[in-house]
Amino acid sequence: MAKAFRASAGIMLAPAVTLIGVFVLLPMLLTVWLSFQDWSTQTPFSEASFVGFGNFNEIFGPTSVGRDFKTALLNTAIYTALSVALILPLSVVFGLLVYQREVAGGTALRTVLFSTYMVPMIAVALVWSKLYSPSEGPLNQLLGLIGIGPQPWLSSPRSALVSIVLLNVWQQVGYFTVLAIAGLTQIPGSLYEAATLDGANGREQFRFITLPLLRRTLLFSAVIAIINAVQVFEPVALITQGGPVGSTNVLTYHIRRVGIERAQGGLGSAMAVTLMLSLIVCVSALFAFVNRKDSE
Amino acid sequence: MSPATRSLSRKRPSGRKALLATAMLLVAVASAFPLAWMVLSSLKTPAETMQVPPVWIPRTPTLEAYEKVAGVINVGRSMWNSLIIASVTTAGILVTSMMAGYAFAKYSFPGRSLLFSVLIATMFLPPIVTLIPLYRMVGSLGLSASLAGIIVPNLANAFGIFLMRQFIAGVPDDLIDAARMDGASELLILFKIVAPSVAPAIAALALFAFVYHWNSYLWPLTVLQGNADAYPIVISLSRLLSYNRGAVNTGLVMAGATLAVLPPLVLFVLLQRFFVDSIVGSAIKG
Repeated sequence: MAKAFRASAGIMLAPAVTLIGVFVLLPMLLTVWLSFQDWSTQTPFSEASFVGFGNFNEIFGPTSVGRDFKTALLNTAIYTALSVALILPLSVVFGLLVYQREVAGGTALRTVLFSTYMVPMIAVALVWSKLYSPSEGPLNQLLGLIGIGPQPWLSSPRSALVSIVLLNVWQQVGYFTVLAIAGLTQIPGSLYEAATLDGANGREQFRFITLPLLRRTLLFSAVIAIINAVQVFEPVALITQGGPVGSTNVLTYHIRRVGIERAQGGLGSAMAVTLMLSLIVCVSALFAFVNRKDSE
Repeated sequence: MSPATRSLSRKRPSGRKALLATAMLLVAVASAFPLAWMVLSSLKTPAETMQVPPVWIPRTPTLEAYEKVAGVINVGRSMWNSLIIASVTTAGILVTSMMAGYAFAKYSFPGRSLLFSVLIATMFLPPIVTLIPLYRMVGSLGLSASLAGIIVPNLANAFGIFLMRQFIAGVPDDLIDAARMDGASELLILFKIVAPSVAPAIAALALFAFVYHWNSYLWPLTVLQGNADAYPIVISLSRLLSYNRGAVNTGLVMAGATLAVLPPLVLFVLLQRFFVDSIVGSAIKG
């Protein structure tokens, strides 16, 4: 029966496949091709001339182009690692708070947490830039109440990137909490009952039942969190412009500046390809790690 | 059991409950605080926003800041642009995702799983990877600096196809076969029979797509190249910050941010059930 619908399948698939083919897959292949070309973004693709690995040599080289790119790559790696390291544990803790049935209000908490995910990043950046304001912002005042001195937040190269990580975590953690809750609902209650009968306490149950059975969920969360983290753009473009002294220059911002604003399409594409390869390596390593744990 | 240990064992669960309740309250307050501060600050007088230490609650709430926002950016026009971008893109995503999702769920054809894998892989591609050539392509199509340039490249996406396939796969084949017996065309079957039975998933996808494209910043900024007439609200907002740097513009920025946050947040509060169900559904079934 199914074979008779091959023509229908073509019609049903045509719009989506054409659009994704033309506007996602084709530009992706063009990015790879352009990374080996000398090309200005203001000229047609036909003006590109082949330079082999020239762009890659330059972005990893000792000149200012190379220095800026390597800083952006490192900043993005730090930003991503910190975001994931904060979001995953928090999402499990918050997920448990929402999921538990001892105290009412779990669903209300979920609503509050998830609502931040609806806020446009540009508004998040604007609001947090004011929260962080050293003198008239409320965060330093709150810290003062618990005896911690004023922090420079976005204005110091030592704390600016971490400050942006924090606003990112605030915005995203609700989404990952919902994912964690989805994982928690998949764990059969009978496992906990059996463990209680065997005399396992709450901490042991968390360590030997909850965490291992959340592994798949956490893997999925980690992949999404990484992909989201490398997209950080608005707070940098709007508030810090990559500074102070390059400390918040991250890849999405840097690639756009080089490839669009400075119209160095070849160099920008080489940077984009490097980002794509780094992501593939990271995600593959993560899968390999979890699969090895699974087979243990 | 001695009375002492009994009272202890009775005390412990209630201590645990108090601890849990405190933790939940703290998390909720920390989560809600920035948006509460945003709304409160938007109602302050300029003098109050600059005060050190900061004023928490405005003494005489005023809409002055909102009036000033309307003087710096064209709020109505920006909101309208955002609405057009978000709703047209969403409509496109719904149609293309339902069609492709139906094909992947209910037809078998050569190369089905390969094609599906390739499409799904694009879900994990950060937009910056395709930004440079896409910017050039949209320019050569004559779409730069226009709303069409923002909308057209986003009319289909992998997440929508994935979500629709997951849910359409659960629609019974008998239902579809019965309609075919009656001579209904495949498109009619999809929109008249399959669509109503996956309505919650369609609602979820619509809300996700709408909020995502209402909030989206990088692509519109790149395409529009300073054509302020086509600015969605999120891009107009950035002009509030550059309008006058420093603490002076705090009320202005907060009022603008409140306006931009309102539509997605209201949609979420009204329809959050669909949002949460579809995330849970896509995570479990994936």
